[in-house]
Amino acid sequence: MIMEQLAGNMVQGLVLGSVYGMATMGLSLIFGVLKVVNVGHGAFVMVGAFVALFFFNALGLNPVFAVPAAFAIGIVLGLAFYYAAIRKLLHAPELATLLATFSVGVLLEETVKMIFGSEFRGYNWDLGNVDLVFTALPISKIFAAFGSVLIALLLYLWFKRTRTGSAMRSVVEDSRGAEVCGVNVDGVYAMSFALGIGLTVASGVLLTMFIPVGINPYMGGGYTLKAFVIAVLGGLSSPYGAFFGGLVFGLIENTSYTMFALIPGVEPFALTRFLSFLILLIILLIRPTGIIKAK
Amino acid sequence: MKNRLRPYYPLLPVFAAYLVLFLLGRNVAGMWQLTATLLFYCALGQAFNIFLGMTGYVDFGYVAFLGVGTYGMATAITGLAGYPQLGLWAVALGFVLAMLMATLLSVAVGAVALRLRGAYFAIATIGVSEGFRFLIEGANLWNGSSGMIFTSQLNKLLGRDLASSVMTFWADVLVLAIAVAAAIVTLLYMKSKIGYALTALREDEDAAKVMGINVTRYKILAFITSACFAGAVGAASWALKTPYVFPPEVFEIHYTIEAIIIVMLGGAGTMLGPIVGALIYGISKYYLSIFLPGFQLFIFALVIIFIIVMFPEGVVGVIKGKTRRTAIAPYIL
Repeated sequence: MIMEQLAGNMVQGLVLGSVYGMATMGLSLIFGVLKVVNVGHGAFVMVGAFVALFFFNALGLNPVFAVPAAFAIGIVLGLAFYYAAIRKLLHAPELATLLATFSVGVLLEETVKMIFGSEFRGYNWDLGNVDLVFTALPISKIFAAFGSVLIALLLYLWFKRTRTGSAMRSVVEDSRGAEVCGVNVDGVYAMSFALGIGLTVASGVLLTMFIPVGINPYMGGGYTLKAFVIAVLGGLSSPYGAFFGGLVFGLIENTSYTMFALIPGVEPFALTRFLSFLILLIILLIRPTGIIKAK
Repeated sequence: MKNRLRPYYPLLPVFAAYLVLFLLGRNVAGMWQLTATLLFYCALGQAFNIFLGMTGYVDFGYVAFLGVGTYGMATAITGLAGYPQLGLWAVALGFVLAMLMATLLSVAVGAVALRLRGAYFAIATIGVSEGFRFLIEGANLWNGSSGMIFTSQLNKLLGRDLASSVMTFWADVLVLAIAVAAAIVTLLYMKSKIGYALTALREDEDAAKVMGINVTRYKILAFITSACFAGAVGAASWALKTPYVFPPEVFEIHYTIEAIIIVMLGGAGTMLGPIVGALIYGISKYYLSIFLPGFQLFIFALVIIFIIVMFPEGVVGVIKGKTRRTAIAPYIL
């Protein structure tokens, strides 16, 4: 019984984990290229969730259409915030960028609250279930996982095969060296920030498949913290590391919940969150470059 | 005589500000509530500045120290409620416990997190604060997520009249005392070897290390001092003023952000900065919530982005730069 439950939760964990991973790639990309931690990360995920909600409820379009729209909105938001604030803070102490990105997150939350209000909403994209022996998996979630893997692969190809992609990689390696070699570093910064935000907003659409009634302007905070743990698992500056970090995190979250639920007198949900932060600290302490990608 | 006292001149505007604030709060009807909030922000900023301002390290989980301080006071009051003869001594013991617990946590966190720098440090400290909160809730420490309510124990210990005057007045006076103490410690640090070492560390940690400064020692000292004051602030402003404690409230990340905003607004690493920041932040928050309810966060976010981009050195930082070599320069630090 418990083994079946565990196996079922692991499958669910992998499916959710792939979306977690995709939702963290933007954070890692921005940190890798600009060395900026986007503390407002979750707010961009929230914007994506609202894009999905708006497409489904107001326009009657399913989330497949919302993903590219959310990505485009993210690119625009990313460029706007980069040129309005982030660009001027690249050489300021961390304090400035941390506070600026946090404030950007608050700005988004408050704007969305003014437009949509602060109650919890949701939508239901019902495509039926796939019945695995030990668990039932909604087809919409499979779509989400498939979308995440596809986007991760496209990003991988973009990095490996395009000129801009290799320019970005060169800036990650050594921004001054890249500048000397004629790379337009400022342009790469702007593009990476926009791309990172675009990915994050798009991931918000995919996440809505997992939270039927959890869409709210303030839903982002929890995702920011999860994304930190996932990004650190993946080495903080590698988008692919982040993707695999997401898979690992999804597995840990779901299996540990099943385990903690066996202990009497504790709250398994809170202990799962505790475990994730414990992992964060241990990894930061023993291997700040992440456990996924040894370099 | 004059020269020997000169290093202490910066305390004068600090004391003057607190005196004016206190007198206004006492003598203008209906002002005490706002004064109490402002005193809390002053103490919070003053305590956080010792670490954030002096080292340049961003502790994103600072609220955890206020949180454990609150739990320290709560534990002492509930545990000692059976000994009413202790009276106010129980509150004193509560402060000792609160500061002790904050210090212990800061030693543990410091040993782990202070090996990291920059963004890694910030993320690690968020992890500590959130992790600690979920440990309390998950493992049902201190009643877990149902929290602790200890109004009746406080009444039993102090008597109903004294307990209510502690909650409505004396708790805030204690917060003021903590703010003053933190200001004095800030000045003592700044004027001693510690301050110079921390300045060197903030500007360039590797260079400071090469120069033979034991950077780790001074970093940890500033971290522990700051945490210890935070524990006391939590005990006075949260536990004594409102005798209950719930994990999501006392580990709320917004308090850390407020502390950062206050320090940054006033000028990180300056003596007067936290007060100026606290007054600007507290007063504008209060009036915005009256005149533009629902919009205050939106406006704040815009203002903060503007300030970070345009005046990263803060109000006092700007004033300091403008008044160099004038008669008031010795008073501004």
